[in-house]
Amino acid sequence: MNEMVRKAIGGALAAALSIVAFGAAAQKKDIEVGLIAPMSGPWARQGQVMKVAADLAIDTINKQGGIKSMGGAKLKLTVFDAGDSVEKAKNAAQRMVADAPDLVGATGAYLSSFTLAVTEVTERAQLPVLTFSYSDLITSRGFKYVFQTSATGDQMAEASLPALMEMAEKASGKRPKTVGVVMDNTAASVAFVKPIRSTQLERLGLKLVVDETFTPPLANATPLIQKVRSARPDVLLLMPTAISDAKLLLEKMNEFGLGRGKMPTISNGAAILDPDLRTNMNVEQLEGVMSVVANWTTAAQKDMVEDFKKKTNEPWATQHFMTTYGDMFIFKAALEMAGKADRESVAQALRKMDVTDGPAKYFPGGRVKFDERGRREGATLLIVQWQNGIPLTVYPAKEALAAPAWPKQ
Amino acid sequence: MKTSNRKLAGPGLAIILFGIVYAAVTGFISNSYYQLIMTVVPVWAVMGLSWNLLSGYSGLVSFGHAAFFGLGAYFVALAQIHWGLTPWIGIPLAGVLGGIAGLVVGLPTFRLRGHYFALAMLAYPLALLYVFEWLGYQELTLPMQREAPMLAMQFADHRVHAFLALALMLGAMALTSRLERARFGLSLVAIKQDEAAAEAAGINTLAWKLKAITLSGAMAGAIGGFYAVVLLVVTPPAVFGMLVSAQALIVAMFGGVGTVWGPVIGAVVLVPLSEILHARLGNVIPGIQGVVYGIAIVAVILLAPEGVFWKMKDLLFRRATKSVPTPPAAAAVPLPITARPDHAGKSVILELRNVSKAFGGLKAVQDVSFDVANGEILGIIGPNGAGKTTLFNLLNGFIVPDQGEVRFEGRDIVGDKPYRICTAGVGRTFQVVRPFRRMTVEQNVIAGAFVHAASDDAARATAREALVEVGLDRHAQRLAGGLTNKELRLLELARALAGRPKLLLLDETLAGLGGGDVEEVIAVVRKLAAKGITIVIIEHTMPAMVRLVDRFIVLDHGAVLATGLPAEVTRNEAVIDAYLGKRWRAESA
Repeated sequence: MNEMVRKAIGGALAAALSIVAFGAAAQKKDIEVGLIAPMSGPWARQGQVMKVAADLAIDTINKQGGIKSMGGAKLKLTVFDAGDSVEKAKNAAQRMVADAPDLVGATGAYLSSFTLAVTEVTERAQLPVLTFSYSDLITSRGFKYVFQTSATGDQMAEASLPALMEMAEKASGKRPKTVGVVMDNTAASVAFVKPIRSTQLERLGLKLVVDETFTPPLANATPLIQKVRSARPDVLLLMPTAISDAKLLLEKMNEFGLGRGKMPTISNGAAILDPDLRTNMNVEQLEGVMSVVANWTTAAQKDMVEDFKKKTNEPWATQHFMTTYGDMFIFKAALEMAGKADRESVAQALRKMDVTDGPAKYFPGGRVKFDERGRREGATLLIVQWQNGIPLTVYPAKEALAAPAWPKQ
Repeated sequence: MKTSNRKLAGPGLAIILFGIVYAAVTGFISNSYYQLIMTVVPVWAVMGLSWNLLSGYSGLVSFGHAAFFGLGAYFVALAQIHWGLTPWIGIPLAGVLGGIAGLVVGLPTFRLRGHYFALAMLAYPLALLYVFEWLGYQELTLPMQREAPMLAMQFADHRVHAFLALALMLGAMALTSRLERARFGLSLVAIKQDEAAAEAAGINTLAWKLKAITLSGAMAGAIGGFYAVVLLVVTPPAVFGMLVSAQALIVAMFGGVGTVWGPVIGAVVLVPLSEILHARLGNVIPGIQGVVYGIAIVAVILLAPEGVFWKMKDLLFRRATKSVPTPPAAAAVPLPITARPDHAGKSVILELRNVSKAFGGLKAVQDVSFDVANGEILGIIGPNGAGKTTLFNLLNGFIVPDQGEVRFEGRDIVGDKPYRICTAGVGRTFQVVRPFRRMTVEQNVIAGAFVHAASDDAARATAREALVEVGLDRHAQRLAGGLTNKELRLLELARALAGRPKLLLLDETLAGLGGGDVEEVIAVVRKLAAKGITIVIIEHTMPAMVRLVDRFIVLDHGAVLATGLPAEVTRNEAVIDAYLGKRWRAESA
């Protein structure tokens, strides 16, 4: 290797770094709130929806006079692209804490694994982060600056089967006795089914008559649904995470005469409620399908949703929309309490916060109070059901937009 | 490549200087995000170096390096979570684990070649991804250590991470650079260019490939372990995903394959580039960063297909071939025919007994038996398709006879691998020359000299001798790809000779040579014979053969048609009918 190459490499390195160093964000007087979510890659659509939600909420807050305790200071959103991998999400978080020192808090990062990596960074930078990711791990690490607004995966799994039983009994007058499970092997599905298999079934006197796990993507749903048809469970837990798998399974169920609510079918998470599903398959085949989610449009937010539909052309507000929208109002409430735009004060306000109005109406359970681990107390689940081509909240009754449909047996 | 003195000082010095510059730049960075990038660059550089160590040198393209990377990452994470093992010990152990994994993967997979190898390698990380999901390790986090962060490598100042990553990278570079110039590198490069020729030149190709994948796996395992400490979250797609294997491949291909600097250049350019694009464009036009990144890679591949390093080297130095003037060819002086000793009754070096080989219905070699006497020059002639080259392939172990015995110095060598037969003392050349084209003449011959050389220096000395012997010493530093046909023939002879053979199998060594060149090569062959090396030569050039050989064996349809002294065989009616033809009869009459 000779001198010239050495110089060339040194020069290239210096040049690269000067490009990197250039462009640190300029300071603004507005109060900066972060959104870190996938803006590119396979989850970009969900990230975009989250951005729309945050923009819409901040717009509303600013129009209503901003942060009153701070002389009507306006909120400002800064977006960080978490990309399509854990590494990119972590890099984005590092960029967020390094390049945006005035940030008072952030929300994100869609996937649990992204949120885990992001909060490793934000915790060390003492930046409060709100998240709707379910994973219990997020708030099991002794972190002080992460606040989980959704019920955790374990809580949802614990609560969903009893809720389902209650709902079924009320709607059909009969308690289901047998249950079937068809699931993929992703983190969310596995975590959801674990407590059901280990304790819930026995406690609720349910019999597991079919239990199938597949690896996504599914090539052919026939063998799985054939087993379901011959076992005929009173209720089927159908847990695909990929929208394509959901489509395959539901179409096959319809083909076998199990669709359109004939066999009560319930899923976990928002995949099976995604607007994409409506454009990709016959809407009638979705009729009656239910899912357990941490947030959805409820009776409390009817007015806001109309505004949302007008501005976005989206057919309905999904859980990541609702939660991100609500998160901005949580930040607003925290800033009002803190009285200053400083992340530590915001974190302290979040720890002290206990409200049942303001941001609370955007979260099931109707209360925003975080316990010492950062989990929202009283975070409950919602059951959403496809009815006439739209997924509507059907449980619990006080937050429902429609009554659940359950086949009378 | 320059002279040997500079060769030793150059790369080491360059690596040290590069390390100092990198460390100095890192030291001045206070922004934690750029500190993280300075940490991630060496991670991918080491991953590229790991890939390069196997695939770059040996040419066996691996799409599965994520397997080793992921095992290392999971090992460090799980060992810390369950046993409280510090990464300071965990990372070296992850290296050991990666090495073992490499060996375990290599043993069955090296049975495959080319695309099949690449595809099989692809399967390992994919399978492991599902295994770790099935084990319930969808998401692991390394617990935050508030009491003893140093022990867990959780430094508040990310520069420490960058320095550690740099140390790992410099270690990997030093190792690669050392191996590259030693027997290891030369053997792998030989395998890359012509695996069969390498095997025939006495290189135990499987052993070298296994060493390469073991070391490569160890590097990937260790850096995977370090990556877990940096990322703090380990998920199967993050460490076993297609992107991990691809990233290793991309940085190496971009920077330059088969050199220590390639993966480093690739990582230093591409990792920050991708990050800057992501950071600056990701929010503006989502996804555009992928497009720009892709176009950048395509452009570089088009402009510098071998990678940035080689392109820069070409531009800065010009290739060595161009700067060394080609010396004028020596004038061909026909050598007088000297009397050859009589070999009848001498000891036998090679015996064939009833050797047969069929390919399906085609009986390529049928029931062939003959002896080769120590020190004689035996000519094998016969029409095209008579089974001459197949016979050679049977003798040097490329193919195993269906039946029969082959004894070399009294020992049965049927079923031995080619490199073993070469080690035993059987050298060969090929009908269609098979030099290692991208290596210099000297390196070609050194590759052949490793068989009996105790050290790299000894191999170099043996190679020198062999080059002098065939008269190629003046061309030692030229690339083999730029040689003339005659020089290539001599090069193959020298390579075979460097293995100190007792028996040389020469397959149409004179093919395609002009008159003067034929004389020159014949002179060399005769010189070797005079030194006591037994020679078996296949050739069609009858006038040359008649003067060269002591005895002929004539093959036809895979069977021995005649044997005898040149004078007898050339008058044999059956031989004339089957091979020499009517014109020969007319001319000799």
